[in-house]
Amino acid sequence: MAPARKPTATERPIRDVPWRVLAALMIALVLQCSWHFRQPAPAATAADLGAPPVLPQRLHGGDPISVAQWLLLYLQSFDNQPGISIPFSRLDYPQVLRWLASALSLDPASSYPLLMASQIYSQLPDAGRQRMMCDFVQERFMEAPDARWRWLAHCAIMAKHRLKDPSLALRYATAIAESAGKASSWARQMRIFLLEDMGELDSARVLLGGLLANGEVTDDTEKRFLTERLLSMESARKSTGATNK
Amino acid sequence: MNPQIRAIAHYTALEGRRTRVLIIAVIGIAAIIAASVFVRELAVAEGGRFQTGFYAPMARLCAVFMIAVHVLGSVLRELEDKGLELLLASDLPRSHYVLGKWLGFSITAASVALIVTLPLLALHPWQAVLVWGLSLLLELLMMVTLAQFCIVTFTHLLPAAGFLAAFYLFARNLTAIRLMAEHPIAAPDALSQQLMVSLIDALAFVTPALDRWTQTAWLVSGSADWPALANTAVQAAIYVLMLLAATLFDLYRRNF
Repeated sequence: MAPARKPTATERPIRDVPWRVLAALMIALVLQCSWHFRQPAPAATAADLGAPPVLPQRLHGGDPISVAQWLLLYLQSFDNQPGISIPFSRLDYPQVLRWLASALSLDPASSYPLLMASQIYSQLPDAGRQRMMCDFVQERFMEAPDARWRWLAHCAIMAKHRLKDPSLALRYATAIAESAGKASSWARQMRIFLLEDMGELDSARVLLGGLLANGEVTDDTEKRFLTERLLSMESARKSTGATNK
Repeated sequence: MNPQIRAIAHYTALEGRRTRVLIIAVIGIAAIIAASVFVRELAVAEGGRFQTGFYAPMARLCAVFMIAVHVLGSVLRELEDKGLELLLASDLPRSHYVLGKWLGFSITAASVALIVTLPLLALHPWQAVLVWGLSLLLELLMMVTLAQFCIVTFTHLLPAAGFLAAFYLFARNLTAIRLMAEHPIAAPDALSQQLMVSLIDALAFVTPALDRWTQTAWLVSGSADWPALANTAVQAAIYVLMLLAATLFDLYRRNF
């Protein structure tokens, strides 16, 4: 007696499929693979950075922070497009500034756009573009000095050591000292040491004396250090005066 | 044409009309047109370009979604109501059933493609609109076949719809995914990276690069890219044939 077929079987064997269907499937598979081989290999092409999209900036559904973050992440990953890495030198910096400004206007409390401007996009060895980024940071620093002084301080250091432009560094340091009352003391004192480096000993001495006199410096160690610097400036001034006589 | 295939195609197309697929398509397209006019008004320059840039991809997505859901729903209903079993109990070859259904769905897809394409004539040269519309029709035919294959193979809505959505997303971004996999930012020699590249390359063999189909750029440039359409047509023909054969393969192996 032949064994009964299992009643639970839901699939028939492949031999039950008509040969025409199998042949069509095989032919179609071969055609698909040959067609795939005939197609040109995908080539990476660098897209230009366009203007930041206006629509999401308006229609953010009450969530501008999220839109700002998307803008920043898009911008940040723009130099790594599928299959190609674009050097910063090929980026359109005025356009980059527009993206950063858009993100900052959507989320003014975020430091991310200024961090990108001062620490990422200013790494390019191109003085013009470094200045462009630093000017952007200074412009935006004035909107909220107490919150944004760190990025301008970085620009001041960059202006002094990389751009070799002490007067630009002094401009940034002065802006921090005059506008950012809550900035760390090292940042607020930066202009004094810049003046000293520039040979403006009189101005540096007056500012340092004023700083010590008005009681802004409360830490004893810091006070001692600054007093020593003031004394060394005084002695340098006297020796310079004696030499001139 | 075989009368059995013709009869099934006729009733499938009729089902498309009676389940109001075309009316829903008109309403959906009207809503997208209204939104695109809004986008046009927001733009300070190149309003027409902005309007097309919004309308074309949204309308294409809407058409693909409607057609895919219609096919899944229709075949699933026949499977669950045992209508398919009743049909197959008669003197009807399974291949005629699949081809008849495919033809009927294709008629509905062609109507939807027409509804989506016609409004573009108000904005762009007819040659560019014709190429775009024909490419959309090919894309919809491909999705009809894929949806039919998915629902016959998986027999449940969730896996079928999930596979369909994942496939469409993957195929629409195939070129970018391949480029990203082949040029990684970090650790290009890592085993995981090499495995990923091999997997993506293998999938690319059996997936059409939909990002080259129905491009909005054809409309905004105003030029009819006939060679691109010819390329799309050949790929669509091969892929539809392969999917139909795979659907038949699965259906012939099933016991009811």
